[in-house]
Amino acid sequence: MSVNYQGQDVLQQTYDAVVVGSGATGGWAAKQLAEAGLKVALLEAGRAVSPNEFTEHMPAYKLKYRDQSPEIVRTRPIQKQCYACMEYNYEWFVNDLENPYSTPPDKPFTWQRLRVLGGRSLVWGRQSYRMSDNDFKAASRDGYGDDWPVSYAELAPYYDIVEKYVGITGAAEGNEMLPDGQFLPPMKMSCGEIVLRDRVKAKFGHTVTIGRAAVLTQVHNGRAACHYCGPCERGCITFSYFSSPFTTVKDALKSGNCTLITNAVVSHVDMDDGTNKARGVTYIDRLTRQVREVRGKTVILCAQALESTRILLNSSTREYPNGLANSSGALGRYLMDHVVGGGASGHLPDLKTLPNANEPQRPNGIYIPRFRNTPSSNKSKFLRGYGYQGGAGAEFNFSAEGYGASLKKGVKEGVYRISLGAFGESLARWDNYCEIDRDLKDAWGIPALRISMTHGDNEAALMEDAGASAAEMLDAAGAKDIRVQTRVEMPGMAIHEVGTVRMGNDPKKSVLDAFNQTHDVKNVFVMDGASFVSSGCQNPTLTMMAVTVRACERLIERFRKSEI
Amino acid sequence: MKRRELIRGGVLAGAVAALQPGAGMAQNTPQAAGTGQPSELTPAQSGVDAAKDLAAPGWKPRFLDAHQNETLIVLSDLIIPATDTPGAKEALVNRYIDLLLTAETSEVQRRFLNSLGYLDGESMRRFKAAFRYLSRDDQDDLLHGMAYPRNGSKWTGEAEAKPDVGHEHFEALKKSIMTAYYSSQVGVMQELGWDGAFTHGIFQGCEHPGGDHK
Repeated sequence: MSVNYQGQDVLQQTYDAVVVGSGATGGWAAKQLAEAGLKVALLEAGRAVSPNEFTEHMPAYKLKYRDQSPEIVRTRPIQKQCYACMEYNYEWFVNDLENPYSTPPDKPFTWQRLRVLGGRSLVWGRQSYRMSDNDFKAASRDGYGDDWPVSYAELAPYYDIVEKYVGITGAAEGNEMLPDGQFLPPMKMSCGEIVLRDRVKAKFGHTVTIGRAAVLTQVHNGRAACHYCGPCERGCITFSYFSSPFTTVKDALKSGNCTLITNAVVSHVDMDDGTNKARGVTYIDRLTRQVREVRGKTVILCAQALESTRILLNSSTREYPNGLANSSGALGRYLMDHVVGGGASGHLPDLKTLPNANEPQRPNGIYIPRFRNTPSSNKSKFLRGYGYQGGAGAEFNFSAEGYGASLKKGVKEGVYRISLGAFGESLARWDNYCEIDRDLKDAWGIPALRISMTHGDNEAALMEDAGASAAEMLDAAGAKDIRVQTRVEMPGMAIHEVGTVRMGNDPKKSVLDAFNQTHDVKNVFVMDGASFVSSGCQNPTLTMMAVTVRACERLIERFRKSEI
Repeated sequence: MKRRELIRGGVLAGAVAALQPGAGMAQNTPQAAGTGQPSELTPAQSGVDAAKDLAAPGWKPRFLDAHQNETLIVLSDLIIPATDTPGAKEALVNRYIDLLLTAETSEVQRRFLNSLGYLDGESMRRFKAAFRYLSRDDQDDLLHGMAYPRNGSKWTGEAEAKPDVGHEHFEALKKSIMTAYYSSQVGVMQELGWDGAFTHGIFQGCEHPGGDHK
């Protein structure tokens, strides 16, 4: 689709900025730049999205297979590994047959993607946590890896901007590992969560807090408060959780300065011969397969860490034979994704609350910030640490024993479940990387990625410790039948992939400067999670958005000074 | 990449995509009005309501044969009988399972038929008749033996040594039946008591300020 922009052909003009990707970061880039008066082209590989296709209020019995469809896996064998890819909404996720990638046989990696306006912001888990200097400056503190070229003090004002706009529910805790932010009123905890919170504090001194989530608990910026229906990943008719199409992208379009081009599958950045400057990007129309070019004074990649990397790798020139802006050789390297798989679950027999089908569904859980290798704790055998997400509540007991009338009764008597699952830091390693697979192309003829990543010994040690610690905490809360998990899930399972176009002060060791501009090509930027230097253990989207806003502010300043 | 390569690649890849498995599914998806393109919405996103499909008059099983279907009806209604709420038979559990199996992989289909066949095999061995023809007492007798894990002697280690095949087949069948029942409109509304509303106010959380959560 080529939207007519003030009567002109959208491809006949030169934009101030061509933004690739309309998800959490691309939406912010488009909003910030367009509202500052820059002319922006926002490119999205998928189609537009409408609230008419939301299905959060449709009971499963109205679906042909009641959300157990055996058919999804035929077109989405990889996407189906994500809980959020379901019979309700699978068309939002990419068709794996059209969007292949490869891995070495012994290094499986699962890559969850959406190509539709808003991308993964439509289905994300919404958990929103700040990182601290324990993360940004971790290398200086424990000697592993590299510091970010950005400090918490430098990023904090941008966290503020993002949180005030997005609306983050949460409770301030004054925790040294998890800076507080601009919170809307916190959601409530269940009885089981309060028992856990109090006993974990008393016995271990650790903080258990209510999840910090991009879900509104009061009217905010023209959007209504959450009505607690539950399945956010199917859409929200009141727009109470943050997704870019109905917030940042909407604002960008409202400014009159942003042209949205959907179905634009970007293949590469185009360089102007002899100037070392980009002149725009080439895309393939997803539906007609026509090849088109959009021209811009700057190119801003927000396509998702691996996709932005793929675009740069596919943009090789004579000057940059190994990928655009890759004089360092670091492009595609240091792929990270939080390690998951460690934790524990059980039930709390002392709590007699019965399950109730007519209860408000809280789209949020509890959170335990990292307590290993903190400034105030002893050093562990492993580096860094992990945080837990979890929850407790009465559920119908579909594992009830036997059969007959007693089975029906057993289901309704329910069980009070409690669980904690860890997200651990994924260390930045040179040998976790992606490259172009010369033998594999997507349905539009664009060379596909080969992704090579494993979690290492440190990640395994984190999950081992996370399982044991979770079991201790549940035991302290009075849980029975505690089941401990210490496995390491395949990389990609956290859907927190970051790091393949890292920032740094040294152009020999990094691709981007501290403001997301490539060291090599001064008008090419990568403003998504690819810029991360280390992963922390906090869910990354909030930090990604803060980084984008900070980078955009610098870019706007440079446009004002006519430096671009 | 060169522009020419892309054009060539795009055309070829398009042709290849049309030959891939799954491409044929597009024929079943609704077309967006006037575009000639598939709508790219799931049936749910298009507003399709399939709740009444299974109740269609003249329904016949598509995967199960008549005997298997009747066996499943009998078994499902023993596992989830009518009480003060309807049971599995009235919830058309057999029809949902038949629909699901029709779309499943041959491996999943084979496993289900194996479990159902095991039930009839045991029934023939012990009572010389297929399960659905047994008296209610004999059906109960047979099911009771399969429903609970065998408690082998801890002294001999019998329980660990021998897999409890009957219990495994029972659990597999029970899982299918429970999924079908508790996902049906009857199961969700009449049995679990959902009132059909999507909002029930704000989540209030714990309301026991004294710390006694009983």
